[in-house]
Amino acid sequence: MKLINNFKKFTWLLIMLLFASSCNDLLIEPPQNRSFTGETDYTVSSNMILPLIGTYAEFQARGWEDFPLISVRGDDVNSGGLGDQQDYAETDKYNYNKDYWMYNSVWQNMYSDIFVAHSAMEQIELFKENGASATLANQYIAEAKTLRAFLLFQLSRTWGNVFITTSSDPSELLVAEVSTKDAIMQHISDQMDEAIPHLVGLHPNQRTDIPGGATKYTALAIKALANLELKNYQAVADAAGQIISSGAFVLESDFYELFKIPGKLNNENILELQYSDFGQGAGDVKDHLFAFFGPENWTPAVVGAGSGWGFYEPSIKFIKFMLDRGETVRLETSVLFTDRGISEITSDPNYATLPAWISNTTRDGDLIEDYARAMFASGKHYLPSNQLTPGRTNYGTNKNFTLIRYAEILLMYAEALTQGASGTAGSADQAVNLLRARAGLTELSGVTNQQVMDEKFAELAMEWGTRFFDMVRLGKTTELSYDGRSFSDDKAFLPYPQNQLDLLPALNNAK
Amino acid sequence: MKKILSFVLMLFVSSAILAQGIQITGTVTDESGSPLPGASVILKNSTIGATTDFDGKYTLENIPGDGILVISFVGFQTIELSVDNRNYINVTLIEDTQVLGEVVVIGYGTMNTKDLTSSITTIKTEDIVRTPTGQAMQSLQGKVAGLQVVSSGAPGASPTIRIRGVGSYPGNDNEAPLYVVDGMFFDNIDFLNTADITSISVLKDASAAAIYGVRAANGVVLIETKSGKLNQKAEITYSGYSGIQVAQNVLQMANAEQFTNMAIESGSAADASFILNAMQRYGRSRVNPNVPDVNTDWYKEILRPGKIQNHSLNVSGGNETTTYAVGGSYFGQQGILDMKNEYERLNLRSKIEYNATDWFTIGGNMILSEATRYDPESSAWNSAYFAVPILPVYDDLNTSAWPNNFANAQDIGYRGGQNPFPALSYNENRSKIKKMIANFYVQFELIPEKLTFKSTYNHSFTSLDTRNVDLPWYIGDGFQRADASITKRTETFSNKIWDNILTYTESYGDHNIVAMAGTSLRDESWNMLTARGLNFPYENEESWYIDQSETIVSEAVTDGGLREYGLSYFGRVSYNYKYKYLVYGTFRADGSSKYQEKWGYFPTIGLGWVISQEDFLKDFKAINFLKLRASWGQLGNDKIRASDGATTTSIITTALNDVLVSGTTTSSTFSSLKWEVTEETNIGITASLFSNRLSVEADYYSRDTKDAAIYVSIPSVGGSVLKNVGVIRNSGLELALNWSNEISDDFHYNVGVNVSTLKNEVRDLYGQPYIDGGMAEFRQRSIVGESLLAFYGREVVGVYQNDAEIAADPVAIANGLEPGDLIYKDQNNDGLIDDDDRVVLGSYLPSLIYGANLGITYKALEFSASFMGQSGNKILNRKRGELIWTADGNLDADLAINRWHGEGTSNEYPSSAGLRKGWNQKMSDYFVEDGSFFRIQNVQLAYNIIGKRINGILIPETRISFTAERPLTLFNYNGFSPEVANGIDTQSYPIPAVYTLGLNIKI
Repeated sequence: MKLINNFKKFTWLLIMLLFASSCNDLLIEPPQNRSFTGETDYTVSSNMILPLIGTYAEFQARGWEDFPLISVRGDDVNSGGLGDQQDYAETDKYNYNKDYWMYNSVWQNMYSDIFVAHSAMEQIELFKENGASATLANQYIAEAKTLRAFLLFQLSRTWGNVFITTSSDPSELLVAEVSTKDAIMQHISDQMDEAIPHLVGLHPNQRTDIPGGATKYTALAIKALANLELKNYQAVADAAGQIISSGAFVLESDFYELFKIPGKLNNENILELQYSDFGQGAGDVKDHLFAFFGPENWTPAVVGAGSGWGFYEPSIKFIKFMLDRGETVRLETSVLFTDRGISEITSDPNYATLPAWISNTTRDGDLIEDYARAMFASGKHYLPSNQLTPGRTNYGTNKNFTLIRYAEILLMYAEALTQGASGTAGSADQAVNLLRARAGLTELSGVTNQQVMDEKFAELAMEWGTRFFDMVRLGKTTELSYDGRSFSDDKAFLPYPQNQLDLLPALNNAK
Repeated sequence: MKKILSFVLMLFVSSAILAQGIQITGTVTDESGSPLPGASVILKNSTIGATTDFDGKYTLENIPGDGILVISFVGFQTIELSVDNRNYINVTLIEDTQVLGEVVVIGYGTMNTKDLTSSITTIKTEDIVRTPTGQAMQSLQGKVAGLQVVSSGAPGASPTIRIRGVGSYPGNDNEAPLYVVDGMFFDNIDFLNTADITSISVLKDASAAAIYGVRAANGVVLIETKSGKLNQKAEITYSGYSGIQVAQNVLQMANAEQFTNMAIESGSAADASFILNAMQRYGRSRVNPNVPDVNTDWYKEILRPGKIQNHSLNVSGGNETTTYAVGGSYFGQQGILDMKNEYERLNLRSKIEYNATDWFTIGGNMILSEATRYDPESSAWNSAYFAVPILPVYDDLNTSAWPNNFANAQDIGYRGGQNPFPALSYNENRSKIKKMIANFYVQFELIPEKLTFKSTYNHSFTSLDTRNVDLPWYIGDGFQRADASITKRTETFSNKIWDNILTYTESYGDHNIVAMAGTSLRDESWNMLTARGLNFPYENEESWYIDQSETIVSEAVTDGGLREYGLSYFGRVSYNYKYKYLVYGTFRADGSSKYQEKWGYFPTIGLGWVISQEDFLKDFKAINFLKLRASWGQLGNDKIRASDGATTTSIITTALNDVLVSGTTTSSTFSSLKWEVTEETNIGITASLFSNRLSVEADYYSRDTKDAAIYVSIPSVGGSVLKNVGVIRNSGLELALNWSNEISDDFHYNVGVNVSTLKNEVRDLYGQPYIDGGMAEFRQRSIVGESLLAFYGREVVGVYQNDAEIAADPVAIANGLEPGDLIYKDQNNDGLIDDDDRVVLGSYLPSLIYGANLGITYKALEFSASFMGQSGNKILNRKRGELIWTADGNLDADLAINRWHGEGTSNEYPSSAGLRKGWNQKMSDYFVEDGSFFRIQNVQLAYNIIGKRINGILIPETRISFTAERPLTLFNYNGFSPEVANGIDTQSYPIPAVYTLGLNIKI
């Protein structure tokens, strides 16, 4: 009896042990909620566009600090936002702090998107190997290359000698050496030469697959920019000339609206960051933090529209320069005035009386009130409150951010010609006068290089630090030493971010 | 001793000869005179015996007049009595409170503490319930050597627990110990009612914890809930308390006048103009006409006293075959932040065991816990710090504001609105936490008293419903929330464990052995779904549903899931020879689906020598018990995030021509991780001296975490990737002394002290000299030979006092410094102040933690007090650090008063202008402060009523107590509380003092 009892008990035991040991294969269950890249079916060619769109998505999701840090130096603009983000203000005064978070953040924002572009190129290559159209694959790769080039261009203009990346693996930088700025600009130019044959010859807004995406002209524009940095003016004239001769681009007649909602995917734009509220008063939105640029205090025409932070203030030097030229169109579009700012200008006896049109109310009826942090706000980053989709209150929501526009191409072309290059797309006078006509100014003939640079100052102020980098390139340090600032050539580049110095031995050797 | 032995021997011999018996009757009672039903009374060395009935009575027949009775009962000391021809023998059993006689749970079994070779500290219910808290682990603060408890002030939030330092790189929920509640694994025990706990055992060393293998590296905490006893009359217990929490050590902020001075001295025209704006808007102070007529103490405004209460009702008991414990409890706590910030928990539990046959036992244990928590808007602590004192809470001039006319700092020129009240008033963060824990088991006695088999199935199911509602408000154009928003998140956690355990107990001669073998299968899953809606009819809470929203944000819909399996085989052997020489070993093989490497093996071995059992110590009367023990073991930490092991692709969206389109990005960095392995050696002494009055527990340990997973920053891209690249060592000494003495029947007292030291050291980083952590401006660096994530920066040597000092210092000239700026030490004497001058500024881990307790009982009065403290840790005052970016906010009064404002005014703090020079205000010991503190942890005064009668009616056993928890904390740190878990103080919830009145009634 006892034996039977024991037998029963041991049977129980055996059953349970058997159960337990049959669970071994549970250990090889893969993790949940992941899409392993290895499981991607590269033979589905229609998916080849996805990594490219991903690159555009990351490119357009630019950190709000990227543009301010890259562009705050220069005599067109001051930091504004007084009493806040001191090291941003110090950067404007050429006192650099490599510990400052913006330096590292911008460096990382740019480089991480460069690696995203590499990763997309590698993915597209895999689709190509698995039967996708080689023509299309090459075009997509060329687009990713173009976006990468723009980012690398901005990085090198800001920091000088930086890394040239070759793959999607950031750990390559641990053993890499930095390249000189000239080598990088040449690399960008070469990259664009590689890309151009594969890109479509359309205005970006004519594209249906990726509206606003990079085309042959985007690559040419970046090539021109890179060669301008190299002072290789003939290459600038050639690349810019091709864009002009294509006839794909025209200047927008309404300069004011070019930087507002009607300017989205405008015929003048070559590359822009696209944002949207999708026409909805609430819910999904892709936007940029334009509040950074906005006036801190206003009475908007549309009640409830949010104000800004008061950073990014057009300089008095720039405003006076514009007044001296009798500019109206471009001054109105570039600057939002406050009463305090107006009286600051008029306190100078030479500017005691201002043109009647200058007031603290914009043509759309937004009243810019006084605020302590700045006297002016950037008009090119302003969206009138009456252009907000009803329901939206964030400053500038639904507005695009222009990166390269046709006006800059015309000016680069003119600059190259006045520096001695020969051009096939008309004369420097023609290029400059197109812009002057829009600005309501008289025509010039026999423009000098100085006149082109002044035109550039007037046209491109507050856009991507073009003014600063032009003056650095031309060695006009006195222009940059204004309002108590003192610029010297050793201030041309920002110091490497401390965070990167701590990580990358090559940067320590390069400093 | 020999004499006694021979006497006993003689008795046996004689009893064998005189085999004639007598009848014995009697009652077995406890010390208070209550009968003990179910106690066993056995004639020694025979099968004759009886069990006491419900009145504690027993009857034995045919007992030799010179026999010896062995009387035993669970939880009481077993005693032996000579019969001496008596017919009535009443026995009083003494409760087994002697620490050394105790049986402790050790994981898949129990063991007598005398036989332990490892380091385990057990805290019993009476010490747990003294702390008025909803978090059982909070009550261990200062009580266990080697255990750091960092309190959390928010209602319903768990404290941070560290056992023997930090062995795993912090910041990813990988530091917490494993909690085992009646066999079920948990990451925290915030759902348990403290009064339901019998004991909490902290398995500190690797040898004790190794049986839990891959889950054990951060230490293991075993929790036993209360159960009934066999043959015990139903015992109905009410215990409860009610009280109030008050914020302690509230940080003094600069007042309007001090703030105004700072703003003017800063040299910033904008800041000076804001003061002017405030005077224009709110008037000038009559006391000082240069200061605005507003003086808001923001901390005072956002704080409130909070109520706390706890009520538990328990019924427990048992008959010959069944034990039961059934109870319910309510816990309620208000936060001290002035918003809807509270925690409520209702628990029901039952624990039943039934001995179906003499070889088959079945049991079940269930806990149902339902809690509602309203989380604090923790940003308020931060905003209250920075909000300027010249801004009122309400502003009558702000007529366009709705629903309330809160003041807006933008109206006086500041960038942000600053006022914390909109967030406090119009945000509500509710979590509903429902938890169901069930475990059922069967146990077979395969060979009586020797071989048992137990199979346990545990299931813990948690549902977590979070609802965050942000109501719209308008204070100004730049300080408003246009859309009402509701975010809901539903999460379920379902964890199952099935354990099968075979235990074999054998004694032959002087050899005693217990062997155990088992298997365990774990199945853990998690599911989550989140969605967000905008603009719903927010006036009524019944409409707070995403369905009622005008817009459902498609981007905000997220879905997550996780499923992990674990399979383990384990075994244990504990052997002793004459209870003198102890050998202990366990081995666990753990398989996990979480990592690419599937299997890990975790062994341990322990040795003990009970010296007091040796003949040569027999004559030392002072030594009652003395044991030396040593152990070594390996543990795993699988809290390390599961790694993908391959590149993954994720979806990203963007706008193209006003159309939302999706693309993909592919990660170019990925982790391929395995668990960390912790190896620990422990040497200890356990002693009981002077008639067991003094108990001593001393340990030295050294614990190395190998393959420590450390975040390695990805160069240029940012972010970081976890890699198994380090060896971290924690080592220290622990000492616990307890003295208890009974001076008379009416008066006894006990005193306890515990001290533990900790040295945390990075031993190896696999070739790299250091790995950076923290952020660039406030660098923390893990350097080989230094502690993990040590604060890393410059050393301040003083403040430039005058122009002469500036002129004399090339560094000052080169950097354009002025009097009032900080002077840094040139560590490498190269004449420059740069990053090469950075040094280690200290660790956030305390090097010394101590605790003490005192208990005095005089007649019905009971007094207890406990103390704790720590030293050697540093806190990064990140609130002050914020000034390098946004300088126009308020700052603490200490800084405002003691700032440099002229020669000789300060050699420690910079001037107001100097504070704003981000390029000179680098990470330095100016920001890193001493985190030492001393605290009166708990003071309790209680009055016990036992056996009293009123008009002949027995009053139930009653205890009335008054408790003051954390009434006093002393520290120098310039913050609310020195308890900052990661050492970076940005916005921690202050830890309040708690005063309660408690009542316990037992029927």
